[in-house]
Amino acid sequence: MECYVDKIKTNRDITTDIKLLIPDAALRRRMSHIVKTAVATAVECLDGVDTISSLDAIITATGWGCLEDSERFLRNFIVNNEKLLNPTPFIQSTFNTVGSQIALLKHNHCYNVTFVNRSHSFEDALLDAMMHIADGASNRILLGAFDEQTPSQHRIMERMGLFRNIQDGAGVVFTLITAQKSERSIARVTAIDFPNHGLTESECMKYASSDNAILLYNVFSRYGLFPIASAFCFAEAIDLIRQCKQEVIVYNEYLGATPTIVRLQCIG
Amino acid sequence: MRIVVTGVGMVSALGIGVDKNLLSIQHDESGISLFPRILHTDHKMPVGELQLTNEQLHELAEIPLSAHLSRTALLGILAVREALKDAKVDTAKRIGLVSSTSVGGMDLTEHFFKYYMENDATGRLRDVRMHDCAASTEAIKKYCTINAYTTTISTACSSAANAIIHGTKLLIHNIVDCVVVGGCDALSAFTVNGFESLRILDDRPCRPFDNNRNGLNLGEGAGYLVLQREEEVDWFYGYLAGFSNKNDAYHQTASSATGDGAYYAMQEALKVARLFPQDVSYINAHGTGTGNNDASESAAFIRLFGKNVPPFSSTKGFTGHTLAAAGGLEAVLSVMALRHGILYPNHNYETPMESYGLEPVTQYTPNVDVKCVLSNSFGFGGNCSSLVFVR
Repeated sequence: MECYVDKIKTNRDITTDIKLLIPDAALRRRMSHIVKTAVATAVECLDGVDTISSLDAIITATGWGCLEDSERFLRNFIVNNEKLLNPTPFIQSTFNTVGSQIALLKHNHCYNVTFVNRSHSFEDALLDAMMHIADGASNRILLGAFDEQTPSQHRIMERMGLFRNIQDGAGVVFTLITAQKSERSIARVTAIDFPNHGLTESECMKYASSDNAILLYNVFSRYGLFPIASAFCFAEAIDLIRQCKQEVIVYNEYLGATPTIVRLQCIG
Repeated sequence: MRIVVTGVGMVSALGIGVDKNLLSIQHDESGISLFPRILHTDHKMPVGELQLTNEQLHELAEIPLSAHLSRTALLGILAVREALKDAKVDTAKRIGLVSSTSVGGMDLTEHFFKYYMENDATGRLRDVRMHDCAASTEAIKKYCTINAYTTTISTACSSAANAIIHGTKLLIHNIVDCVVVGGCDALSAFTVNGFESLRILDDRPCRPFDNNRNGLNLGEGAGYLVLQREEEVDWFYGYLAGFSNKNDAYHQTASSATGDGAYYAMQEALKVARLFPQDVSYINAHGTGTGNNDASESAAFIRLFGKNVPPFSSTKGFTGHTLAAAGGLEAVLSVMALRHGILYPNHNYETPMESYGLEPVTQYTPNVDVKCVLSNSFGFGGNCSSLVFVR
């Protein structure tokens, strides 16, 4: 299985005014910070809303989902004794809110699924995208990952002792994956695997097809401790391929979870 | 390559185990109780609640109370164990799991938050460890014989159907040899208040496809199938021949009056199965009992089947709407409809809908030649999934 990457954007790359990315003001107001940022990153990655129509699949990944809205609704019903509640945070707390809001922007009826699987949510979504392409079911897939940081999430993880040696993190990554190589292609994904035990750096290099491959090994120390941090490593890998024309291996292992390994190569 | 169903497992308000659930439906006994007894809430509306506490569920699953699992995970473990036992899978094979949930460990988080809100140094951490969706999947993996690829899908009320679709791809691409697919969701104050705030809960037992329907009843449960490649098994219930996920792309929570998403999903699922609308023997509808869903789904039926809409019913009058688990429970019931040649009654149905001229199955009907069952699951975000099971 393999696929091509045409474009990749993170929330840090948004340069366009959000009012142009999400033109409906009422819609923007209803969206929580993470939903707005994720949808805006998706539109930025697509060169505008109109291109949503040409997608064959929208696949999203998140470890935690929409924490801010979940917490807001939870607090509201506890404080208000389960009475007179505003449904908006409940509606937007759903894990597939980002994916469905993207579909809604241009009424795209295509396949639209959300993976919520801790530290390998992003890789699971990528595997789904690659299987779609291998089956001939899709040519152009929008693949995205998002996780937000909230004061409660930070406080609770701090109490669990998770930030002793590592920082907190959050963010959004969207990428446009295609079945065929084109003049827009910037990298290709040539392997994805879920080994049943942790790998050392030299074991990871066995996945490389050339001796000078670059290995991105410590996902969480690079980007902070949040479930979709490896999507940022994936974006870094694509930057490296553009600059150095070298193969990159991304290895993602978090606290005893099943590790994942992804191989990215230059356009052949 | 053809994908076959080799095992089934389910838990709902009707009880634990597929046989118990089928027997209740056969006797027209609903699992909907007039108000929640186990769940802590001030709301007094009907729910489909399994009448066992979390402590009793731990005991039943032979898991120490110290494991402190969420209710969602406990329901999932019981159903997955039944499905794996039913399939008699060789544990030397790569057994994967694609599970789904929409509330995850919210029942425990709610408890935590009451204390945390007062003082952020309080609330027991073991009550938030299972908050995320994947926590229930990991618990199922740990307490059942899952030894290969595991993932979690969450797309609201179509989640389990999408988990089933994803499982077929894992088999086709040889990522696993066998895969347990479905979903689990427990009742929680979060979802009860959420659906209440949307004003779509009926204060009486729900009446899907009835002209006087007035909303849904929430339920809880878990439903899982074991899927394998046909050439690797000696016996199976039937084929999972077709599947599709499409988006209604109309509104975040409401369905379009024209039933676009439902229509596209059913149409494509039949196309994948290489079948025609006239081949469908029975539809296990999404049929929640809300004015909007049942109208939209009926419109989609008429668009696809014209004047020849096959026998259809919603089983949510028995189980309540079990959210992410619904597609799993209903996939199990669809497979059992094929296996035993039965059509399920649409519980509480009385008055035909004025606009559509459609009437669901009203009686438990045995001895029917059921060759092909279509199972629908639709969720928030316009997420529409259809599965086609063939004998």
